[in-house]
Amino acid sequence: MRRVILLLITALVVSAASAPGASAADKIRVVATIPDLKALAEEVGGKLVDVEALARGNQNAHELEIRPSLMLKLRRADILLENGLDLDTWAEVVVQGANNPNIARGAPGRVDVSRGIQVLEVPSTRVDRSMGDVHPLGNPHYSLDPGMAPIVTQNIVDAFARFAPDRRADFERNRQTFLSRLDEAMARWTQTMAPFKGSKVVVYHPQWIYLLTRFGLSQAATLEDRPGIPATPAHLTRIIRQMKEEQIKVIVVEPWNDMKLAGRVADEAGAKAIVLASMVGGVKGADSYIAAIDHNVNALAQALR
Amino acid sequence: MRALALIVISMCTALAPAAAAAQDAAELRKQIEELQKQLDAVTDRLRKLEAQPPPPAPAGAPTPTTAPAAQAQPPAAATPSAMDVVRPRQPFGLYQQRGAGQLLFDIGITGDFVGNLTQRNVEKAQGGTFSGQENRFFPREVELSLFGQIDPYASAVVRIEAGEEARGQETPISLAEANVTLLTLPYGTQAKFGQMRNRFGYSNEVHEHDLAWVDRPNVMRNFFGPEGLVEKGMEATLVPDLPFYVEALFGLFNGDNETAFGRGSLQNPLYTGRVRTFFEIGDAHGLQVGMSVAGGTNEDKLSTTILGWEGRYKYRPDGWLHPLLTVTGEGLYSMRKAPVGVDTDQDGIVDRVDKRSRNHSGWYTAVEVQPFRRWAGGFRYDWSQYPSNPGWEWAIEPYVTFWPSEFLRFRLAYKHTDRSPQTREAFNLNGGSARLVDELLFQGTFILGAHPAHPF
Repeated sequence: MRRVILLLITALVVSAASAPGASAADKIRVVATIPDLKALAEEVGGKLVDVEALARGNQNAHELEIRPSLMLKLRRADILLENGLDLDTWAEVVVQGANNPNIARGAPGRVDVSRGIQVLEVPSTRVDRSMGDVHPLGNPHYSLDPGMAPIVTQNIVDAFARFAPDRRADFERNRQTFLSRLDEAMARWTQTMAPFKGSKVVVYHPQWIYLLTRFGLSQAATLEDRPGIPATPAHLTRIIRQMKEEQIKVIVVEPWNDMKLAGRVADEAGAKAIVLASMVGGVKGADSYIAAIDHNVNALAQALR
Repeated sequence: MRALALIVISMCTALAPAAAAAQDAAELRKQIEELQKQLDAVTDRLRKLEAQPPPPAPAGAPTPTTAPAAQAQPPAAATPSAMDVVRPRQPFGLYQQRGAGQLLFDIGITGDFVGNLTQRNVEKAQGGTFSGQENRFFPREVELSLFGQIDPYASAVVRIEAGEEARGQETPISLAEANVTLLTLPYGTQAKFGQMRNRFGYSNEVHEHDLAWVDRPNVMRNFFGPEGLVEKGMEATLVPDLPFYVEALFGLFNGDNETAFGRGSLQNPLYTGRVRTFFEIGDAHGLQVGMSVAGGTNEDKLSTTILGWEGRYKYRPDGWLHPLLTVTGEGLYSMRKAPVGVDTDQDGIVDRVDKRSRNHSGWYTAVEVQPFRRWAGGFRYDWSQYPSNPGWEWAIEPYVTFWPSEFLRFRLAYKHTDRSPQTREAFNLNGGSARLVDELLFQGTFILGAHPAHPF
């Protein structure tokens, strides 16, 4: 038995050392925890990078099933882009199973792209779990605001340039090209949302504050009793009454949340429940960063009309 | 003349310290002046730095895409004074703040309380699932976990637990785990040393409160004892750079586990091995399979080898927050050498002692269905022989689990255990009998603070 085990281990070591992709590859191998960061990394890196995401667009990025297939993605990664602000803490378990020192905590390949973000909803009082699954560092869903893209992409450029200093100019050029396109789209989105400035919406989970703030909308209530805590009938009754009183027309739902419940509440309150892309790929057609924001802005405007 | 000499000597003796003191004072003055000069230089440098214009904004950051919130600058940190700069600092502090009041490591507490109701004769025989704790409600495991990075190269976990082990006794506090993982080794390797729950099969590594059932599967308890395999030593894992996931593990331990090994010495160490792989069929289906081995020396100074097989399948429909179906199974095969007395001439006296191999096995399979986020139900079927005694047992345990939130869980289960007649002697303490056991089990578990995500 011991011989069999020794042979097996030897075979694995030899295969690890001689595997075809083990030597330096042409492209920087990047893994992002969420698809939004993957999309932005692809814009910045262009053909110089090969990017994968751990979470899929229609998943809840707060709690991901830690599959060994995710560890496989990280096994060869040069850079891991994390959203940070406690959204993707599960990534640590994936990293520990990947046996890749490039992306161990503290390594240059481990990048938290939230650096420099003006975080919203940072608790100003003592927080505990009686408030639900709160984020003590603030709301982590900044990637839904296209206005945050310049900061995030700057962090990505810096991360890529640390790995390939001679390509910094290329990354910066790609970033500028992307930001020009984003600027054009931003002008369009601002115009589309201008008539609805000051409108109130109800959200299922409090992850839309950055998008709403960007376009001058406000979050009146959440269908969840508290973050991560399912709604009680009494809470829903209060929401319906509030929506009627304040003439709130829209409930924003994440692709992974209970659309049936949101639909029932919307029917009772005389409003519409719409599914927005909580991440790139969250809904059909939202397969790039700009396309995802496009979908969200158009769907919101249409529902508020 | 002698008197004069004495006077001179006395004067010299008296004046010498005064002269030395004067010299010291001059020296000190010089040092203070030097320090003053350094302080002035630092202050001057600080002023110059403060007077410099702020660094230019990163090129290309277009103004229209700057968030409204971003326009409001955070309040600038108070400028340190020159004294702040030169003041000596504490080189190391256990509690230092990181960001918004966080420690440099994470702290979590889990509490796992268990209750069980069973027949009186089972209680007398102490033959229930929680032997000696029949018909009681007790804290099985209250665990304080501390975990985090030690430095850029290693992380550590320390778990201290308390649990009531027998009725009427105080709750002892013990070290459940304390280990360091070296994260930056080359060639896809990682090493861990210290005290740990061994990665033998699927369920052994899982703590009591994280198990999908109220109790540890019978085969694991029979072959490794009620706590499972927890050892002191080192483990190394290898994840080779292959197109599919494979993790190979090798471990070397003391062999303290009294149920299976028990020599507790590196002269006769316990070695462990495990290989596991994962198959993903689309996004919805995942299957993990693995094989483990543990070999060492038992208390009879003879060898014991235990082989294990594991499988875990999950079906999670696209977009679901939880799996709809989870199927788990493990099988163990124990090859234990034991001394057996042989009476060759049938005179009732043992003539020689032979080494015989006692091979025993056991397995379990569990199915769980979770149609709603907060509710799950399932059952576990156990079949197991005893590694040292004759006979076998089977058990079935249906259960239902309810999570009011991610951090609080209640579980209710019924367990029926049927032991073969040969095992009766092992479960007839105090005139009781535990051949047929019916138990109603209750579990309440909470998590305070940090708790790492669970692997597949």
